[in-house]
Amino acid sequence: MEIKLTDLTKKYGDFTAVDSIDMTMREGVYGLLGVNGAGKTTLMRMLCTLLKPTSGSITCGGRDIFAMDASYRDLLGYLPQDFGFYPDFTVRDYLLYIAAIKGLRPAAAVKRAEKLIDRVGLSKAADKKMKKLSGGMKRRAGIAQAMLNDPKILILDEPTAGLDPNERIRFRNLLSELAQERMVLLSTHIVSDVEYIANEIWLMQEGRIVQCGMPEQVIASMPERVWICRTDRDHASKLMRRYKTSNVKTDAQGVELRLLASERPTEDAQPVPASLEDVFLYYFGEKAGDENGMV
Amino acid sequence: MVWFEIRKVFSRTSGKTALAVMAAVLAVTCWLAVSHIDYVEEDGDIVTGIRAVRMLRRDKEKWEGYVTEDVLRSVIRENAAINASDEARSENVKEQNKAYAQKQGFNDIRDMINRAFCSFQEYYYYRVDSVTEEEVGELYGQRVERLREWLYSEEVYDHYTEEERAFLIERYETLETPFYYADSDGWQAVLYYAQTIVMIGMIVCGFLVSSIFSGEFQTKADAVFFSSRYGRSRATAAKVKAGYLTVTALYWIMVLPYSAIVLAVTGTGGGNCAIQTSFEFGKSFYHITFFELWLLTVFGGYIGWLFILTLTMLVSALTRSSVLAVMVPFIILFLPSFVDGFSALSDMLGLWPDQLLNISLAVRLFNLYRVGGHVAGALPVVFTMYVCLYLVLPPALYLAYRRMK
Repeated sequence: MEIKLTDLTKKYGDFTAVDSIDMTMREGVYGLLGVNGAGKTTLMRMLCTLLKPTSGSITCGGRDIFAMDASYRDLLGYLPQDFGFYPDFTVRDYLLYIAAIKGLRPAAAVKRAEKLIDRVGLSKAADKKMKKLSGGMKRRAGIAQAMLNDPKILILDEPTAGLDPNERIRFRNLLSELAQERMVLLSTHIVSDVEYIANEIWLMQEGRIVQCGMPEQVIASMPERVWICRTDRDHASKLMRRYKTSNVKTDAQGVELRLLASERPTEDAQPVPASLEDVFLYYFGEKAGDENGMV
Repeated sequence: MVWFEIRKVFSRTSGKTALAVMAAVLAVTCWLAVSHIDYVEEDGDIVTGIRAVRMLRRDKEKWEGYVTEDVLRSVIRENAAINASDEARSENVKEQNKAYAQKQGFNDIRDMINRAFCSFQEYYYYRVDSVTEEEVGELYGQRVERLREWLYSEEVYDHYTEEERAFLIERYETLETPFYYADSDGWQAVLYYAQTIVMIGMIVCGFLVSSIFSGEFQTKADAVFFSSRYGRSRATAAKVKAGYLTVTALYWIMVLPYSAIVLAVTGTGGGNCAIQTSFEFGKSFYHITFFELWLLTVFGGYIGWLFILTLTMLVSALTRSSVLAVMVPFIILFLPSFVDGFSALSDMLGLWPDQLLNISLAVRLFNLYRVGGHVAGALPVVFTMYVCLYLVLPPALYLAYRRMK
């Protein structure tokens, strides 16, 4: 199965949210990285048939997904960024309801819901009302609903937003388990969410995919090198203004900087292997830092 | 899916509150309807409630039957005899009550005489006192004559066409006479408060159904809903069905127990009497009995609920706002009060959906419409129109919601 985006564009008046994207997805985990407002959610909502493109097309196995209608959505599991639910439903009832609208037969729905409740670690909270769950538990209920129909295409929009570090790690591990034998598109602005589990990274900026490939390829695509250097505080300020800085560590002896530069920024600077975070900084620059303190 | 949709409505605190309010409205309305009937005892004291119902029924039973010339003359004679008594002539209110107590059995027939012998738009309580035994035999003819006088008076001459005047006169002339009279206080009590329970119930129900469609957006659950296999088909249809079932169940849960309780207490007698035997509906041109009027009232209310509350759901779906949606029943109920002064709108107001919720008022009004070259009263027009309009709404609601982005 193959999802193909051809010249995919979505405009809101004069604003272009998604700009002429041509991409292909097959089985595997795709990490969609970009700052807030890059167009990730718009792209995902089009993939979920919630928005129609202004131009271009999305095909699944060669057929337009909007023409496929319910048969396409039958393949789909979606966890939206703003995951809404029915606050007075218990977790179990919520999953049974979503199972019903996903077309599962009642007996199969009960089995599947119980299995997923167990798998996402919500067994003890299964009879709790959704509104009583913690943020992490709600997200786990969210991934459970997305998995109810055992989807071939799993679309997760910022699934770890607002979660504490423990929950994020737990969620990532859960996702690694669930991602096997399906196509997963995971959007995030938190690099570590996709660094270890994505087979392919898409970097999205102002509606366009500016870079894509396996994590190593994306890292290699960066024309600048990464340097670590130690200096005093006054000089550190000057370096930080001059170069993109992916990390600053201050101690009693001075400041250790992690800088992106084409040439050695100081005489004692040492080159180190680039990471995905460095790439994120390179492509999204100061904007990434301004809008996202968790990079 | 339908069951889950209904659970969504009633699992919320607002849903439970609405149910409690409806139960309270039902209880209070039943109590008001039963205590609406009063009776003056022989000693001049006034009683209400079940005791009043029983005493009044006992008195009225003596006058049950066709209101023939002989019966009318008997009423004139009895009325005159009571008027001549010391109690009636007394200045003391309690003494006067004692006199009135003797008239209660034939008071409805007394009212018929008053109406027939006053001009059409007037009512004089003591008119019967000056009607002679010879004159009273003309009661049924007088009804028609008073209507004719009114229709040709300057007051309303321009309001009706010649065809409409002929229609109304024909309706009066063809009404089966003499009237069959029986105590119909139970039906009248049910009808008197039916509009209260139907209107308040509809407003409360509006709060419940207004969130069936907009709730997905308010809870931000719309993305999962519409990206699911049946989100734009069966699940949307389930919402339409849940709305229909909620409206239907709540309506009949309100109206049937209300009618049953009030009739059980006040009695079901008089259901086969023409509504013209009562003070309330004496001038109506509709040829219906109290039972038929009750049927029209409950089915009219049901069609009204279905139409107005489905419209509420449509607004909820289109605007994604429960607040805007819940205003629909209020606007429909209260708009006529604001635009009542505009005579140009009077014909339109006769067809406004609130008429279905207040059939007791609609049968008293002389609203006429031309349909296919024929003159018709408002009732058949309103019923036909809103049944047809209602049939369009659920498909429109389904199509509008399934296309939501």
